Amino acid sequence: MRGSSLIQIVQVGFKSLRLHKLRSGLTMLGMIIGVWAVIVLVAIGEGASHDAQEAIKALGAQNVIIRSVKPMSDKVQLQGSDMEWETIYGLKNSDASRISKTVPGVIKVLPVLTQRKNITHGKRDVDCQLIGTYPYYPQFTQSKMVAGTFLNEIEEARKENSCVLTLELAEKLFAGHNPLMEKVVIRGFESAQVFRVKGIIQERVEGAKLPQQKDALGRTISANVFIPLSTFKALFGIKNIDRSVGSLSVERVELSEIRVEFGSADEVMEALPLLREALDKTRRGKVDYEIQVPINELNALKAQKARDTRMLMYIACISLLVGGIGIMNIMLATVTERTQEIGVRRAMGATQKDITVQFLIETLILCLLGGSIGVCGGWGFAWVRHHLLHTTTIVTEWSVLAAFGLSVTVGLVFGLYPARRAALLDPIEALRHA
Amino acid sequence: MAKRSIIQIKDLKKVYDLGAFKVQALKGLNFDIEEGSYTAIMGPSGSGKSTLLNILGCLDRPSNGAYILGDDDVAHMDDKELSGVRGSRIGFIFQSYNLIQQLNVVENIHVPLFYQGKDISDHYDHCVKLAEKVGLADRLDHRPMQLSGGQQQRVAVARSLVNEPLMLLADEPTGNLDSTTEQEILDILDELHGEGRTLVIVTHDDAVAERAERVIHLKDGLVDQDIRKGAAKAVAN
Repeated sequence: MRGSSLIQIVQVGFKSLRLHKLRSGLTMLGMIIGVWAVIVLVAIGEGASHDAQEAIKALGAQNVIIRSVKPMSDKVQLQGSDMEWETIYGLKNSDASRISKTVPGVIKVLPVLTQRKNITHGKRDVDCQLIGTYPYYPQFTQSKMVAGTFLNEIEEARKENSCVLTLELAEKLFAGHNPLMEKVVIRGFESAQVFRVKGIIQERVEGAKLPQQKDALGRTISANVFIPLSTFKALFGIKNIDRSVGSLSVERVELSEIRVEFGSADEVMEALPLLREALDKTRRGKVDYEIQVPINELNALKAQKARDTRMLMYIACISLLVGGIGIMNIMLATVTERTQEIGVRRAMGATQKDITVQFLIETLILCLLGGSIGVCGGWGFAWVRHHLLHTTTIVTEWSVLAAFGLSVTVGLVFGLYPARRAALLDPIEALRHA
Repeated sequence: MAKRSIIQIKDLKKVYDLGAFKVQALKGLNFDIEEGSYTAIMGPSGSGKSTLLNILGCLDRPSNGAYILGDDDVAHMDDKELSGVRGSRIGFIFQSYNLIQQLNVVENIHVPLFYQGKDISDHYDHCVKLAEKVGLADRLDHRPMQLSGGQQQRVAVARSLVNEPLMLLADEPTGNLDSTTEQEILDILDELHGEGRTLVIVTHDDAVAERAERVIHLKDGLVDQDIRKGAAKAVAN
C-alpha cells in the first residue's frame, strides 16, 4: 500500500472516530488510564528507590558502618544508689585500632562519638547532635564544605574548642549572619563549653533522608555539630546522662560509630566475617554493636525494585488488557453499525484487505491517541509531583516505551478480530443492512 | 450499425444451497447488452431480479454459465479480482444512495478511485467536475446528512461515473424519491445515455422502465420477455 493512501485511510479513520466523539473518548479512556498508571507508578517507584539508593550510596558502597547498640536490660550493670543506673557498652577505641590492624583490605577507620546536646548562640537555642570525629570525616562521608574549613590535625592534637556546623543548623542558629569565627555555647547535662565556629559543612544527603541518624529515643536529628574527638572526650567525657526516662541513667559509650573504609565494594563482603571476629574477640558473647553494610542494602534495594517493577508490569498488562477488551467491544459494535458502509466500500472496489486495514487503523488510532494522552498525562503528573510537590519522581524512558508499545500491541491484537469480521462480511448482505 | 456487446450472458444459473434443499434462483439466462444501450430489468419478486443484479454487479458469482464483462469472463474470478472489476468497470447507483456519512460530496465521489489506488489530490478537479455535472457545484463540502434525498442520489450518480465504468448499474434508483425528484434523476440518466454510456436499471417501476430502450422481463429465473423498443429512440439520437 502506498504512503499517500495510508494517510487517507488515517484521515478517514479520524473522521469516523469524530463522528462519535463521546464513544471514542470513553473507549480511549481505558487506554489513557492504563498508560497513565504505568508511567506514574513506575515514576513514583523509581523516585522512591532513587532517594533510598542515594541515601545508601552516601554511606559509601565500599564502607561498613559499625554502631554501638545498647544491649538487653539483663546486661545492665547497677552501680551506686537505686535510682542511678549506669550502662557501659559499645565500641571502644581498641576496637577501631584492632580492626585497622587485623582486618585485611581496610584502608581507613573513622571513629565517631555522638551525644545529644544543646547549642546556643545569643538567644537562639537548638537541640543538636554533637559529633566528635577525626579531620578526615568530610572525605570519608563525601560531604563538602560550604564555608570555612573542617577540623584539622592540630586542633585534634591540642583538643581545641573548634566546631563545624551543618548548613541547616547554621541557618537556624545564625539566621543569615555569617557564623564563621562566631562563638557558640554547647551545653550538656554536666557542663557548658564555648566553641568557635570554623566551618559550615553540607552532608551528601540531608540528615532528614538518612534513616540511621536518630538519637536514643528515635528522634531524627539533622542538626550536627562536629568537634575534635579529643576535645569531646576531654570536655564532655564518654558519660552520657539522660534524665528523660524519669530516673537518672548514665551510659558510658566510648565510640558511637566506627566507619571502616575498604579498597572496594568486593573486599567488603570478604572481610565481613573477619570484622565480626575482631569485634567479638573481647566481648564474651555480649552483643552491643550492629554492622551496617551499605552495599548489601543497596543490592537488596535493587532486587526489591526489580520485583516491584515486575509487579507493576503485571498490573499494567492487566489494565491494558481490560482496556483492549473495551476497545475490541466498541470496534465490534462499530463494525455492526457500519455494516452498510462496509458493503458500499466493497461495491466501490474495496478488497477484504482494504477493509481490514481501515478498521485496524481506526483501532490503532484509538490506542495511539489514548496512549499519547496517557503518556502526556503521566509525564505532567510526574512533573507536578517532582517540581511542585518536591517528591522525587522519575519518568523512565522504558516505561514510556513500554506503555506505548503495549498500547500499539493491544490495538493490533484487539483490532484484528473486528477488522477481519468487517472484511469477511458478505458484500450483498452488508449492502442490504439498513 | 453493429454495436459491441459489453455484456454476454450465457446459460447463467444460480443455485442457493440452503442445506435441506436447493433453490434455483436463475435457471439459465441468455442475453447480451450492447455498448451505449439503456436496459431495464424488471420482474416480480422471486423472479431472480436481485440475484441477477448481484451477479451483474460482480458482488456474487453464478453457479453455472458464463458472464463476459468487457473482454473477461468474470464468472470465475476470486474475491480480490472481483473487487477490482467492481471498482474499475461498474458504476453502482443504489436505491438508498449509500453514501459514506463521514465523507463530504467530493470525497464520496472519489471513493471508487481511492480503491484503484488513485489519490484524491490528483483527481480532485475531476471529482468536482462530476459534482458540477449533477448540479451540486455549491455543495462540495456538504456531508450526506446535509443533503436532500435527490441531492444524495445525484452524488451517487456522480460517484458511479468517476471511474469511467463500462456500465452503470442502478438498483431502483428512484425508489426512495418523490415523483418530481424521480423525474430529475431519470433526466440525468437519460442525459448520460445520450452521452453514450451503457445503463442497466433494475426496477419494478414502469415509469422508470419507460425510459429504457429495452426491457428484459424475468419470471421464475428465466427471461420471460425481451422487448426492444429502441429503434425509434436510436434514430432520434
